[in-house]
Amino acid sequence: MTSDLIPFELQAISIAVLAAFLLWVLRLVRTQRLSLRDSLVWVVTTLVATMVALFPGILVRAAHVVGFQVASNAVFGAAVLYLAVNVLVNTVAGSQNAARIRRLSQECAALRAELEAARASRGGAAPGEAGPGPKP
Amino acid sequence: MRVLAIVPAFNEERSLPAVVSGLRRSAPSVDVCLVDDGSTDGTADVARSLGVTVLSLPVNLGIGGAVQTGYRWARDHGYDVAVQVDGDGQHDATYLPALVDAVGAGRAALAIGSRFAGPRIAGAFRSTWPRRAGIRYLSWMLRLRCGARVTDPTSGFRAAGRQAIELFARSYPPDYPEPESIAVAARAGLTVTEVPVRMSERLHGESSISAWRSFYYLVKVSLALVLLPTRRPASEELP
Repeated sequence: MTSDLIPFELQAISIAVLAAFLLWVLRLVRTQRLSLRDSLVWVVTTLVATMVALFPGILVRAAHVVGFQVASNAVFGAAVLYLAVNVLVNTVAGSQNAARIRRLSQECAALRAELEAARASRGGAAPGEAGPGPKP
Repeated sequence: MRVLAIVPAFNEERSLPAVVSGLRRSAPSVDVCLVDDGSTDGTADVARSLGVTVLSLPVNLGIGGAVQTGYRWARDHGYDVAVQVDGDGQHDATYLPALVDAVGAGRAALAIGSRFAGPRIAGAFRSTWPRRAGIRYLSWMLRLRCGARVTDPTSGFRAAGRQAIELFARSYPPDYPEPESIAVAARAGLTVTEVPVRMSERLHGESSISAWRSFYYLVKVSLALVLLPTRRPASEELP
């Protein structure tokens, strides 16, 4: 597990930071602020990063296979690419959510107008006065 | 023939009475539907007091989302023609019957009210020269990308027949939608025509398109027009 590729202190700090990050993600899931589905990508990436911190040899070999002279450049490259993909995926999710909010708002507006018209045609009954409302 | 006037409005309580009375005067048989785009003033209350149908959006969607709310209403309530009229008082309702005739007679599926199509009318508002240059560019882009010949592509004063109502209820660009919606219609094989109209300057408030936003407008619409032929048409199902 110990390696001459990176100093032990750095390895220990990396693993501690990744563990803290993983705990944070899990806490977000437990407190319902992050959905389990959306947490998966973060959990998997953190675990992969932890593996790399534990066995830096994997990274060095992978970097050489792709053609990087220095392994740290591969880390920077991969991190930037990963973050860019992540941001794009989030932007796509944002676009989809915007379309959904738009449709919901439009449906809300139409339903409200229908409701007002129905109430008016029944003689202006105020909400709760009459009609088949939800039963307690 | 059932005609619906779609009036999108955001904080237009001051302009609204004049807009609605103009519509009633020029086209008494037309139903008026105000789309209140999440206004923070009394727009919806003023509209209700004027006796028009009010579609109150719970959040501000922007002009595209607001107008589409009206098209969905027109589709769901079986209107034959839907006419868009801005809530800020820029559009002269006396031209509404001409727009309705253009689609009602089956000449076209979509009729755009154009400030530049007819002979120049004295005192009419034709915008500032940089905007006119932008409009000319958009008009050229539209002809290039989808063959639609429209001299005033940014005009929001327009009439849509049944086919266009169906199309726009399904698919309408959310922001700066005017030129792109013409392209959407042309691409769907609908015929687009123009009717000369007169516009005036806004009665109150400021245009939602400030000078610095014009650049974004041109870039966004250009991208939309360039990509349009390769884009999958929007369906009723959301992603």
